Amino acid sequence: MVKTFFIISLSILIILLLIFLLTSYYKTFYHFNNIIIKIGVGIILIFITLVVLRYMLLLFFSILKIVMKTADEKENILTTSNKKVSVIIPAYNEEKVIQQSMKSVIEQTYPNIELIVVDDGSTDNTSLVAKKFSHIPYVKVLRKTNGGKANAINYGIKHSSGEIIMIVDADSKLEKNAVELMARYFENPEIAAVAGSVYVSNQNNLITKLQALEYIEGLNMVRNGQAFLKLVNIIPGPIGMFRKSALYEVGLYDNDTFAEDCDVTLKLISQGYKIDFESEAIAKTEAPENIFDLIKQRYRWTRGILQAIKKHSSLLWNFKNNPSASFTMWYMLFESVFWPFMDFWVNIFIIYLAITSGISLLIFYWWSLFTILDVAGALYCILITNENLSLAFYAIFYRLFFIQFINLVKILSTIEEWFGFKMDWGKLERKGRI
Amino acid sequence: MNFLAFLAMLILVITIITLVFGLIAYFLYKTREKQKKHKTKKYVYEDVLNEVGGNYIFFE
Repeated sequence: MVKTFFIISLSILIILLLIFLLTSYYKTFYHFNNIIIKIGVGIILIFITLVVLRYMLLLFFSILKIVMKTADEKENILTTSNKKVSVIIPAYNEEKVIQQSMKSVIEQTYPNIELIVVDDGSTDNTSLVAKKFSHIPYVKVLRKTNGGKANAINYGIKHSSGEIIMIVDADSKLEKNAVELMARYFENPEIAAVAGSVYVSNQNNLITKLQALEYIEGLNMVRNGQAFLKLVNIIPGPIGMFRKSALYEVGLYDNDTFAEDCDVTLKLISQGYKIDFESEAIAKTEAPENIFDLIKQRYRWTRGILQAIKKHSSLLWNFKNNPSASFTMWYMLFESVFWPFMDFWVNIFIIYLAITSGISLLIFYWWSLFTILDVAGALYCILITNENLSLAFYAIFYRLFFIQFINLVKILSTIEEWFGFKMDWGKLERKGRI
Repeated sequence: MNFLAFLAMLILVITIITLVFGLIAYFLYKTREKQKKHKTKKYVYEDVLNEVGGNYIFFE
């Protein structure tokens, strides 16, 4: 009750603050006679309105999803499942983290489980470490020549016996009830996959703390909102569950993109399947701890997502036959291309304006509008999860330099993808802090 | 200079620094990756086979 009251009051306050800022912005820049300033300010206003609408809709859908989930739980619609779940951990040089990852699966509360570790031709002791658990009857450790993550997952699926497949990254650790919470969604035959929440386990410096905020707000809140429409667009690598028959129907995982998780999700959506999200099923993952590793990760994510969009580009104009797939594709295009480019363009425009006319007030409006949205999103996510409240404080820095930096990396990666630069997987060095 | 103008100036300076830093970091990353690739390029059996003209090599 107190929580609901707090969320509603906060939402009203934020809406009022946004209206106030938008009107002041309009009043300040309305009187300028310079046509370039007028056009630029107009474009920024349209973009801000789009982003505010996106935030509001996601927040609204996210709240609705929670309300519906609570109602389903009360009416026992989300019943416990007893389907066999095969958990697959694809691993390549993961000796530092594989033990903890496997342990977290073995300690699951769900009884009908099978664990398959696929060592994708590691050059370290991954399979030796994994074999420490092979005395457990339901644990299998398979070894194959190196062929990439998608191939390793497919290899695991072909050797599995469960009708539900769960993919867990080797650098991630599941909470004890994760499988139990996610498996129950598969009682609904329309559901082909369920995503879980990803939290950062190594919050030990500013970079990982900002990523923690990004994960709960940028990724988990967005997925919760998308889940209201049963259209989650990316099943995250650290925690995703699939119906095996649906995976076979779409031809399992493909290895022609660097975002195999996004690709497989798009394949399922294009077949008309529904994708849900369970916010309480949690996987803790190791986030990059330094700038270079962060660039490496985002470079792969950006190019991988763009490759997946390009691969399924026919869905963009398929509004008549498959509106949900088209909507998902446009949304992804907005998030991965339009938004970063627009953000960069606005920054350049603001700098130009400051140099040529001495007006720097525009950047204050730009930053404060987004920071208000970020703080609101962060507070909402912290309220519905068990994340640390102090993370909301980092929202100030999040918009000030973190997102600017990430967007710049996205833009440069997009340009490289556009010109078809060669790339490889970009394996991150594990610190073993999951 | 009022507080709002000062804040705007501060944000603007941080933005410029971030963009410059981001560009430098990205190109440093690309250079580091290139160097890493050269260092870690493995000499595999097939490469040796190509070099000696396709005949099988026997190791003692």
